[in-house]
Amino acid sequence: MDPTLDSELRNDFLVEAGELVQRLGDQLIGLEASPRDAELLNAVFRAFHTVKGGAGFLAIEPMVQLCHHAEDLLNVARNGQLLIDASRMDALLEALDLLNDMMAALASGSAMAMPPAGLLQRLTPGKGAAPAPAPKPVAAPVAPPPSDGTIDDSEFEALLDSLYGSSGAPGAPAAAVESGSISDDEFEALLDNLHGKGGQPGATSAPAASATSGTISDDEFESLLDNLHGKGGLPGASAPAPAPTPAPAAAPAKQAAPAPENTVRVDTARLDALVHRAGELVLVRNRLLSLAAKTGDESLELAATELDRVADALQNAVLGMRMQPVGRLFQRFPRIVRDLSRQLGKEVELIQEGEGTDLDRSLVEALADPMVHLIRNALDHGLEMPDERERAGKPRKGKVTLGASQRGERIVITVSDDGRGMNPEILRRKAVEKGLMDEAQASRLTENECYEIIFRPGFSTAATVSDISGRGVGMDVVKTRVVELGGTLSVRSQLGKGSTLELAVPLTLAIQRVLMVRVGARLLALPLSNVDEVFELAPGQQQLLDGRVVASHRGRALALADLGGWVGVEGLPGSHVVVLHIGHMRLGCLVHEVLGREDVMVKPLGPLFEGVPAVAGATVTGDGRLALVMDLAGLSDQDGQLLSTLRMSG
Amino acid sequence: MKILVVDDFSTMRRIVRNLLVELGFSNGLIQEADDGENALTMLRNNAFDMVVTDWNMPNMTGIDLLRAIRAEPSLKGLPVLMVTAENNRDQIIAAAQAGVNGYIVKPFTAVTLQEKLSKIFERLAASGATA
Repeated sequence: MDPTLDSELRNDFLVEAGELVQRLGDQLIGLEASPRDAELLNAVFRAFHTVKGGAGFLAIEPMVQLCHHAEDLLNVARNGQLLIDASRMDALLEALDLLNDMMAALASGSAMAMPPAGLLQRLTPGKGAAPAPAPKPVAAPVAPPPSDGTIDDSEFEALLDSLYGSSGAPGAPAAAVESGSISDDEFEALLDNLHGKGGQPGATSAPAASATSGTISDDEFESLLDNLHGKGGLPGASAPAPAPTPAPAAAPAKQAAPAPENTVRVDTARLDALVHRAGELVLVRNRLLSLAAKTGDESLELAATELDRVADALQNAVLGMRMQPVGRLFQRFPRIVRDLSRQLGKEVELIQEGEGTDLDRSLVEALADPMVHLIRNALDHGLEMPDERERAGKPRKGKVTLGASQRGERIVITVSDDGRGMNPEILRRKAVEKGLMDEAQASRLTENECYEIIFRPGFSTAATVSDISGRGVGMDVVKTRVVELGGTLSVRSQLGKGSTLELAVPLTLAIQRVLMVRVGARLLALPLSNVDEVFELAPGQQQLLDGRVVASHRGRALALADLGGWVGVEGLPGSHVVVLHIGHMRLGCLVHEVLGREDVMVKPLGPLFEGVPAVAGATVTGDGRLALVMDLAGLSDQDGQLLSTLRMSG
Repeated sequence: MKILVVDDFSTMRRIVRNLLVELGFSNGLIQEADDGENALTMLRNNAFDMVVTDWNMPNMTGIDLLRAIRAEPSLKGLPVLMVTAENNRDQIIAAAQAGVNGYIVKPFTAVTLQEKLSKIFERLAASGATA
C-alpha cells in the first residue's frame, strides 16, 4: 500500500482503536465486579479482537500478539469455561497498560517490543480449559476432519464443491468420502440437481445440511430436491430433511447496540475557534450596547437588546459544545482505586454520583491530576485497614464516593471517604512540630482551620512517607492547581466517620471573572480568584526590608511589586495596591486605578505570543479597549521567585 | 461493480476499500455499512453486485447477514465474501453451509483478495455456464 495511505490508516486506527482501548479500562473494572456479565465479556472480547484485526493490517506484530492472547483468554471466559479472577484480571489490566503504551509508541513512531512472554503466559487459559470455544458437535463435517481446526483454500473449495457441485471439476467428491455419509450416486444426483438450478449459493444453497445428520435417507434426499426445485427457498428453513444447522462455533451473542452515528467528531481546535468567534460577537455586542445607550436612539437600543439576547444564547450554546460529562473524568478512577486498594491491602468500594454533570472539556483534563491525588489520599490516609475498620464496628470494606453537581456557575466535585477522619488535636500538634505556627497560634485555630492545615506546603500527617500519596507533592500542590483554575478546595471531616474534600471550579475556563485595573495607559485583567483585597497606599507605609520594598499591612510586611515596570509603563508606580495570592506567596501589586470586576471572555494571543510568562490572553472591554488577561502563576518562576521585572528597588 | 463493505470498525472498512481500489474496483462504487442490519437495509434499497463482510460485528453478525441475504428472494444470489479473524474450520464450514461464496482471513494482501475474488467469479461463471 502506498505510504501516505498507510499513515492515514495509521491515524484512523489510532483514533478508532484508541477509543476502544480507552473504554476497555472501564469495562475491565466492570468485568471484575461482575465477571459473568455476558454482554460485558463480549464487549471486552470484541475490543481486543477488533484492535487485533486492525493491527494485523498495519503489521504491528507486538500488538497482534498481545491482543490475540487477551482475546483467547476472554473467548474461553465468554464461553463459560473460565472465570476471570483477580489474577486473570491483573494480567488483562497489565495487557491493557501495555496496549496503551503500544498505542502511544505507534502514535509517536517509536519502536515497539514484543509483549513479555511472562505476560502472554499469564493470559493463556489454563490447561483445564479448552483453548477454543466448544463447538456444538458438527456430527460429520462435509470436508475432511480437522487436523488443527483450520482450513485452507483447497479444503474450502472442496467444501463448496460438495455443497454446490464443482462445475465439472474433478476431484470434488473426495471431500465427501471421509464422512461416508453420502454415496457417490446420491452425490451425483445432488450435483445434477444443483447444476440444473444454477449451481451457486443463494440460488440453491443448503444441501450441506445433510452432512450434519451423518447420513441421508432416500426420502430425505427426495424432499431436499423438492425444495431445491421449488421456489429455491432455503432448505434449512423449510425442508424437513436437514438436521439442525450447526451453530457457528464462535458466533457472538448479540450485543448492546453502539450509539447510532448521529454525532459528528469535531476537532477541538475548530470548536475552540468557534468559541472565540462567539466571544468576539459578545464583545461587539457589548460595544453596541454601550453605544446605543449613549445615542438614546430607541430603535437602535431595541435592536441592540435583541442582539444581546441572541448573542447570549449563542455563547451559551457554543460553550455547551465544549462541555463533557464529568464521567469522562471519573472513568479513569475505578482502575486507580482497584490497583491502589490491592497495593494497600484495603477493601474499597468506589461509588460515583452525578457523572452526567457537564464540565468544560479543558477542565476535565486539568482536573485529572488533582483528582487522582485526592483519591490516593482518601485511600491511603482516609480509609483504615479492614481489621481496624472491623474493630471500630464498621464494615471491612471502605467506601470512597466521588460526587459531582452543579451549583450556580460552579461545578462542585467531592471526594468522600468513610474512614478514620481527621483529629484536630493531632493536626495542631503537627503544625507546631513542623514549625508552621507556634503553639499559641495553633490553639486559636478552629476545627475547620485545623483541617485546612493539610493544604499547607510540606505538611503530611503520615508518619512515614508512603509510596502512595506521600511523595513530596502534597495537598498544597493540589490546592494551588485548583486555585489556578479559578477554583477552591475545602475540607470537612468528622473523627471516626470520614473526610470530604470539596473542589469547586467555574463551569468554564473561557469566561473569567477578573478585576480590571489600569497601569499607566494599559488595562490589565487580574483573575479575581487570586485577588484578596485592594487598598490605597498611605504615605510612609512603604519601607525597605532586606533590600525589598514592602508595605506594612494588617501588621505584616507585604512585598510590593510594580506592575508598571512589568508592562513597560514609565513613570511613578501607582498608589493602589491589589493584594494577590499566587500559590502561597502574597504580593501587593501597585496599579494606578482599580476599575472594578468584570466577566471577560479570554482570547488567546496566538502562536506569536504563546509562552509569554504571566499573560493568559487578551480581552476587549465594553468600551472597545484591549486588556491583557494575566496568568498570575506566571509572575513567579519555578522556585517561586518573583520575576525580576516586578522587583522594586528602594 | 458495486460492492458493499461491511465492518463495524471504520479503519477496517477503509483498508478493505483501499485494497479493492488497488485491484481496480471503482472507489465510487464501493459503499460501506457498519453492521449487518444497516448492510441489509442498504442491500434492499440499492442493487449491489457483491458483499464483503466482517464476521464479528455487534447487532447483526456477518453470518446472520449472510443468512438474511440467502433468505431474501431479491438478494439470495448475491456473492458474499466473508472476512474472518481466524482460520477456524468450524466457522468456515458453518459459513459455507449458510451459503457463503468465499472467505478470507485477516490480515490479507491485495493479492490474496484477488485470488479469493477470482475463485468466487470462476464459480459464478461456471455455474452460469452450466445452467
